[in-house]
Amino acid sequence: MTVTLTHYLVLGALLFVCGALCMALKRNGIGVLMGVELVLNGANVNFVALAHFNPAFAVEGQIFALFVIVMAAAEAAIALAIVLNFYNNHLSVDVDTAEELKG
Amino acid sequence: MSALSEQPGLYFVVATILPMVSFLLLILTAFLRHAARACDSPLCNTLYRVLGGGRPGRTAAYVATTAIALSFVCSLVGAIHFASHGQDHHRIEELKEEAHHLESEFAHRPVEEHPKIEKELQTVNAEIHRLESKWVGRIEWANPAGPYGTKKDARASILYVGYRIDNLTVVMFLMVTLIATLIHIFSIGYMSEELAEEVEDHQVHTADGHLKRRGRFGRFFLFLSLFCFSMLNLVLADNLFQVFVSWELVGICSYLLIGFNYERQSASNAANKAFITNRVGDAGFVIGLLIIWTYIGTFNFEEIFKTIRAPLTDSHGVRPLRTKIDGEYVPLGARIVRANLVVEDGEKKLVPSQTGDQAVLFSPKVHLHVEDADPGDETDESKWYLKSFYPDFDSTDSMPYWLLVAAGLGIFVGCVGKSAQFPLHVWLPDAMEGPTPVSALIHAATMVAAGVYLVARAFPLFTAEALIVIAYVGGITLFVAATIAIVQTDIKKVLAYSTVSQLGYMMLALGVGGWVAGIFHLITHAFFKALLFLCSGSVIFGCHHEQEMTKMGGLFPKMKITALTMLVGVLTIAGTPLFSGWYSKDMIVAQSLGYVRLHPEHFLLFLLPVVTAGITTFYMFRMWLMTFTGKPRDKHVFEHAKESPATMTIPLIVLAVFSICVAWGWPLHDPEASHLNKVIHHGQPHHVLADFGGLAELGELEHAPGLVFKHVERSERYWALKLHGLAELSAFVAAGIGVIFAFLLYYQSRQTGKTRLDPEEAREQFPGVYALFANKWYFDELYSALLVRPALRVSQWCKAFDLRGIDGVINGSGRCTVTLSRWSGWVDRYIVDGLVNLIASVSYGVGSWLRRVQTGYIRSYVLFLVLAAIGVFAILSYFLAMAAAG
Amino acid sequence: MSTNELQAILFYLVAAITALCAIGVVVTQHIVRAATWLLFTLAGTAGVFFLLGADFVAAIQILVYVGGTLVLVVFGVMLTAQSPFISLRASAAEWAIGTVVGFLLFGMLAVSLYSANWNFPEPGQTASPKNSMNSVVLGESLLGFEEATPAANMTGFPPGAAPPSRKAVAYLLPFEIVSVHLLVVLIGAAYLARARRRRQATST
Repeated sequence: MTVTLTHYLVLGALLFVCGALCMALKRNGIGVLMGVELVLNGANVNFVALAHFNPAFAVEGQIFALFVIVMAAAEAAIALAIVLNFYNNHLSVDVDTAEELKG
Repeated sequence: MSALSEQPGLYFVVATILPMVSFLLLILTAFLRHAARACDSPLCNTLYRVLGGGRPGRTAAYVATTAIALSFVCSLVGAIHFASHGQDHHRIEELKEEAHHLESEFAHRPVEEHPKIEKELQTVNAEIHRLESKWVGRIEWANPAGPYGTKKDARASILYVGYRIDNLTVVMFLMVTLIATLIHIFSIGYMSEELAEEVEDHQVHTADGHLKRRGRFGRFFLFLSLFCFSMLNLVLADNLFQVFVSWELVGICSYLLIGFNYERQSASNAANKAFITNRVGDAGFVIGLLIIWTYIGTFNFEEIFKTIRAPLTDSHGVRPLRTKIDGEYVPLGARIVRANLVVEDGEKKLVPSQTGDQAVLFSPKVHLHVEDADPGDETDESKWYLKSFYPDFDSTDSMPYWLLVAAGLGIFVGCVGKSAQFPLHVWLPDAMEGPTPVSALIHAATMVAAGVYLVARAFPLFTAEALIVIAYVGGITLFVAATIAIVQTDIKKVLAYSTVSQLGYMMLALGVGGWVAGIFHLITHAFFKALLFLCSGSVIFGCHHEQEMTKMGGLFPKMKITALTMLVGVLTIAGTPLFSGWYSKDMIVAQSLGYVRLHPEHFLLFLLPVVTAGITTFYMFRMWLMTFTGKPRDKHVFEHAKESPATMTIPLIVLAVFSICVAWGWPLHDPEASHLNKVIHHGQPHHVLADFGGLAELGELEHAPGLVFKHVERSERYWALKLHGLAELSAFVAAGIGVIFAFLLYYQSRQTGKTRLDPEEAREQFPGVYALFANKWYFDELYSALLVRPALRVSQWCKAFDLRGIDGVINGSGRCTVTLSRWSGWVDRYIVDGLVNLIASVSYGVGSWLRRVQTGYIRSYVLFLVLAAIGVFAILSYFLAMAAAG
Repeated sequence: MSTNELQAILFYLVAAITALCAIGVVVTQHIVRAATWLLFTLAGTAGVFFLLGADFVAAIQILVYVGGTLVLVVFGVMLTAQSPFISLRASAAEWAIGTVVGFLLFGMLAVSLYSANWNFPEPGQTASPKNSMNSVVLGESLLGFEEATPAANMTGFPPGAAPPSRKAVAYLLPFEIVSVHLLVVLIGAAYLARARRRRQATST
C-alpha cells in the first residue's frame, strides 16, 4: 500500500472543503479568517505533494508553498486589522451585522 | 421762413397741422393725467394737479382755440400770398401745354433734332416744377408694391400724401378756419357747464337718480381739434385717397361728438345711426376708389383728370382737339371721350362715338391725336379717329364707360352719405343730439359740406349720367327736407332739415353745371348756417337746454342780440336781396333755369328749388317767430331765460356781419361782381366749361386757351346768365309768399297770443300732408321695414343657423372627438401602457426576487462561490467527458 | 515493515489527525476551541510536509503559522470578544445547506482527482534524506544556481509540443517582492488596526 499523489491531493481537497465550509458557516469574523487559513493550507498541501511527485515541479512547488505561507501571514495581519476595525464599527465580530451590501 | 416764402403752400400745411398739434398736446396731457392719477406718489400727485387735477380747466379750450386761430392766421397769410401769385397758374397751364407739345414733337421731327427738343423740354419742365412747387407738394406715403398697380406706370403703386392749393382750397380754408375759430370761442361759453367736477345729466336716469359724471370740457375741445385737422386735411389733399382718410377721420369725429353724452340712449343711437349711414355711403366711395385705382392707377386729382379728360389741343399743340362724331363736329378738349374699339386691318382703333362703350384714357405716355389731315375735307369721315403713337391700343388706353359712370356715382354715393342727401339724409337730424356748437361746425358748416366739396373737387370725374343723378338727388333732397322742416318743433331739428335742404341746393347746382354757384352757396351757407345754429345754441343755453319751440315765444326782449343776429341769419337764408344768401341761392336757381331752358324734360330741377325757396322762407320765419315773438308759451322757461355771455354773443355778431357781406362786390346788386364769386370762378376747372359752356366775355377763355365751347345757344352757362333776372324774380316771389304765410300763421300779437290764421286749422285741413311731413316722409319707417327689420330677421336666421347648424356640427364633431379620444385613451391605458407596465413589473419582480440573492452576508457569498465552483466544475467535466467520448 | 508501509501508516495517521482537526475547526462553536483545532490542523499539515520531504517548508509552516499567524489569530480573538466564549451559531438550515454543499464539493474534487491521469516524466520518488529538498537547494534555486535546477522538463504541455528546456529557476525577485509586500501589509495592518476614538461618542 503505497501512498500516491492522489491521497495527498484528497487530503488537500478535504482541507480546502473544510476551509470553505468554515468561511460559510462561521458567523465570527475570526472564524472566517480561520477558514481562509484552512483553504490556504489545503492549497499548500497540494503544492508540496506535487513538488514531491513531479520532478519538474520539485523546486517551484516548495517555493510557491513558501510564498503562500508568507501571503497567509500577510493576509492574517490584514484580516485581523479588518476584523478589529469591523469590531470598532459594529461592536461585534458577527459578520452578519455587516449587511451593507444587501441588495 | 425762407421755405415758407419759397413754397407759400406750406402756410396751409402749417394751418392743417396746428389743430393736430393741439390734439396731440391735449390727448398726451390727458394720458399723463390719467397715468398720474393711477399711481400714488408725491411726484405723481403733483403732476396730476399740474395737469388739471380732478376739475376740468379751461386750458384745453385755450390751447385748441389758439391753435385754430393761428390756423386761420396762417390761412389768411397763405391766401394773401396766393392772391399775389395769381399769374403763376396761368403760366403753369401754358408751360404744360408747351411741354405736352414738345413731347409729341419727338414723333414728328427727325432724330437729329431730338437732343435739342429734349433740352427745351427740360427747361420747360424745370420752370413748371419751380412754379408748381410753390403750391403743390407731396411725399410718398406708402408703396404697396406688387402686381396690383397698372403695368403702364410705376407711380401706380405708390400712395402719396400731398397738398395742392388752388382757389377752391384757399376759399375752403378761410371758411373752415374762420368759422371753426368763432365756434371754438362760442364753445368756451356754451360748454362752461362741463367745467364742473360733477355734472348731472338730467336726461339719463340710473338706479340712484340722475347720472353724475365728470365734466368733459377738455374732451370736447380735444375732439374739435381732431376734427379741425381732419377737415383741413380733407380740403388740403391733392389725391382721393388722402381725402378718403380724412373723410373717415371727420366721420369718426362726428360720431364721437354726436355721442358726446353717450350715456343718453338717444345720443348713442344717433351716433350709431350717423356712423352706419355714412358707412353705406363710404361703401360707394370705396367702389369708386377701386375702379379709379384699377383703371387709372392713381389717386391724384390732377392725374386722374388728365387721364380721363381729353387734352385741350391735339398733339401738335396747335389746333383745338375736335372731331366729327356721328356726322357732326364735336369739340373734344377737356371732355370725356366715348369711343368704340374697332379692329380694322389688324389695327386697333378707337373710333369716337356718342354712344361708344369705351371711355378713352389719355395717359401721359400715349399721345393721342385726331387724324385730321384736311379740316376742310368734311366728306371723308373715315379719317376721323383717335390714334396712338404706339402701334396698337391696348386695354390700358380705354376703360369701359359704364365703369367710369359707376366710379363717379360711387364717389357721389360717398358724398350723399356725408352731405346727408336723399336717401341717406336720415342721420343728420338725429345728429342734433350733439352739443350745439358741434351741430354748427360739423353738421352745418363744414363736414356735411365736405360731400359738396368733393363733388366739386372731383367734378371732371363725373360723366353726364352721373351729373344728372347728382342734380336729381339734390333736387329731391332740398324739397323733401324743406317740407319736413315745416312741421318740426325742435329748434335744432328745423335747422338740421334746413341744412339738408341747403346742401341739396348745392348738389343740384353742381349737377346742373353750376359749379361756381354750388361752391358759392357752400361758403355763404356755412356762415349763415353756423350763425343760425349758434343762435339756436344761445337760445338753448339761455333757456336751460330747452329745445322745443312750443315752450318758447316772446324771447326777443330777453335776448336781443341773439334774436337780432338770428334774424340776420333768417333773412340771409330766405334770400333777402343784398344778404349773402341772396347771391348764391339766386345763382343756383338761375343755373337750374338755364339748364331747364335747354333740357325742358328736367323742368323739376327748376320747379323744386323755386318752390323750396318759398318753403325755406316760411319755415325759417316760423322758427324765428315762434321763438322770439308773441306770448310766452311756457312761463317757467320764459322767466329763467337770459342773454348769453359775451364769449357767445361776439361770435354771433361776427358771423352775422359775415353772413351779410361775405358775398359783396361792386356794384352790390350784381352777383357776378361779387368778389367771392370771382375768386371761386377763377378756381373753376375748365372741364365744367367744357361740359356746360362758358362765356368768352367773362374771361373764361383765358384759363383754357384751347377750349372749344358749345355753341352759345346750347350753353347752359349762357342761359343761366341770360335768365338770371327771371330766376331771381321767381325765387323772390316764392320767398315773399313764404314770408306772408309765416307771418299769418305764426305772428302772435303780444297781448292776445292769437295769430291771424290758426296753424291748428291748417294742420287739420291737410291731415295727410301733415302726417307725411311730421313723420319725415316715413323714411325712418321705410328703412326700418326695408333694411333694419330684414337685417334683424336675417341676423336671427344667422343666429339660429349658428346655434343649430354650426354649433351642432361643432358640438357633434366635438363629441365624436371626445368619444374617439376616450376609446384611444382606453387603448393607450390598457394595451400600450399595459404592455409597458407588464414589462416593467416583470423586470421589477425579477429584480426584487434577485435582490434577495444579494443578502449582503459574506457567508452566503462564500456559499454561492462554492456552489458556482461546483456548477462550473460539473459543466466542464460534462463537456470534457463528451469531448473524450466524441 | 517496509519503508513504504511505514510511510503509509505515518501518512494515514498524520492525515487522519489533520483531517479530523480541520473538521473540528468547522464544527466547533467556540472560537477559542476552533483556534486550538486549527493549531493542530496546521501542525498536522507540517507533518504532511515532512512526510513529503519538504523539511524547510514544514519548518517554516510551524514557525510562521503556528508561531506567528495563529498567535495573531488568538490575539484577534482576545481583542474582539466581549466574552471569549461567545458563540455565534449558524442556524440549522445553514448547517444543513453547508454540509450538503461541502459534501458535494468534496465529492466532486475527489472524483476528479481519482479520475485524473497524472503523466509525470518519472515515477514518484520516495522521500529520503538523500534526495530531500533541503534548505540549501532551495536557497540555490532562489538565487538561480544551475545546480539547483530540476533535470526534468516542464510538464503539462499538449502532446506534440516540445517543452522548453530550462536552464535555471531564479525566484529571488519574486521573493523580494513578497518580502516588501509583507512589509507594506504589516504597516497597513498596523494603520488599520490603530486605536481610534469611537465616532459615536462625538457624533451623538
